[in-house]
Amino acid sequence: MLAADSVLLYHTDPVPLHKPVSEPKRRFEQLVLPHFDAAYNLARWLTRNDHDAQDVVQESVLRAFRFFDGLRGEARPWLLSIVRNTFLTWVQVNRPADTVEFDDALVEIIPTDEDGPEIQAARNFDRKMLNEAIAALPLQFREALILRELEDLSYKDIARIVDVPIGTVMSRLARARRLLAESLGATSNISGTQVHK
Amino acid sequence: MTREEANRLLHAYIDGELDPAKTLELEAHLAENPSVRAACERLREMSAAIRDKADYHTAPAWLEARVRAAIPAGRKDASARPTRWRWLKPAGSFAVAAGWMRPAASFAAVALVTWVVALGVMRPGEDERITQEVLASHVRATLANRYYDVASSDQHTVKPWLSARLAFSPPVADLSASGFELAGGRLDYIGAQPVAVLVYKRRAHLIDVFVWPVEAQKSEQTSTRDGFNIEHFAKNGMDYWLVSDLSRSELNDLAQLIAEYSAP
Repeated sequence: MLAADSVLLYHTDPVPLHKPVSEPKRRFEQLVLPHFDAAYNLARWLTRNDHDAQDVVQESVLRAFRFFDGLRGEARPWLLSIVRNTFLTWVQVNRPADTVEFDDALVEIIPTDEDGPEIQAARNFDRKMLNEAIAALPLQFREALILRELEDLSYKDIARIVDVPIGTVMSRLARARRLLAESLGATSNISGTQVHK
Repeated sequence: MTREEANRLLHAYIDGELDPAKTLELEAHLAENPSVRAACERLREMSAAIRDKADYHTAPAWLEARVRAAIPAGRKDASARPTRWRWLKPAGSFAVAAGWMRPAASFAAVALVTWVVALGVMRPGEDERITQEVLASHVRATLANRYYDVASSDQHTVKPWLSARLAFSPPVADLSASGFELAGGRLDYIGAQPVAVLVYKRRAHLIDVFVWPVEAQKSEQTSTRDGFNIEHFAKNGMDYWLVSDLSRSELNDLAQLIAEYSAP
């Protein structure tokens, strides 16, 4: 039976060690830790507060070290995908109420890209309004936007991190920008007054 | 190119992700349509504004120092368990190959190859790990008294709720005629992916049915852990894991019903 084999394999220590003990840590520090800020930025935008971001990043980096053998290709998207996975696990345990976020009515009322209102000129919006509007985006749109605009990652890398097809990345980005434009447009229409929840 | 298509492609265009042929087509369209051109310009401005004005949060220096110190200097911690993280998930063909090879495992050479392949490439104990994860999820839901994110006995409520939040659409069967009442659904995270959990009720027992898409057809399996029964099967591209304190035969009935419902 499969399960029995698997248990046996699972307990079999597979790799003999040849390298000096400090080597993996040194390589990890050289390859992965330069992206510590990127990891923190993503965690901060996902959790939306400093304290939780610190927890998620610490856990993510330690996990990344354990999974370091699995690193193929570039370290930054790889690390970011671990941050995202760690966040998803973390949020289930520590902030189960946050899954309510998916109930956000915004998800249901997204207009199709063809007939939505036009995207407003964005240069007029101040920093605070913009940050609040991004933070208010539903998770799947927020993460796509952060990975694209702040991490400048390709659709392909984002697709791997978020684990969806490239076409989905494109439509999520389009929706993210559309939602952002709407919320900024709504805010600016109330002349000078900022809308708070 | 239609206006709709042009609007749809604008995002990929400003992100530099459009292939050359489509780029030429779109640029021709832009040249003829000032309104689409204006939309494109506003989109660029928005992108630039986000890059310029959105906070890039840098980590506090003490945090990096603390994490650095927490990374074990030796290899012991890292090699204590086999690497489970794979940047690229193993292609379905690996799993298929290993499954196909298993019957032939009486040949020592083949067995060795299977073992090496399994160690190096395939999921080390993935079924075992998933068993533990689905069981943990079921127990956690019970302990926390949080069985579902959407409570409904209507399959036409539960299915769209789940589909809207997942990259796939799980089959949701109404089995009340057979004595399994749909109670609701929730989301969970199993085997490094978001999954659907359908919650059925039979008398006082709750049954969690975990569903997610799977490439390779895996073996069926029944097991008992800590007084819970677990059924596993795959049907029509979906992997199903049933967990409950319901009796094994009744849980098997439910598995049969779901399998019939999910048949192509």
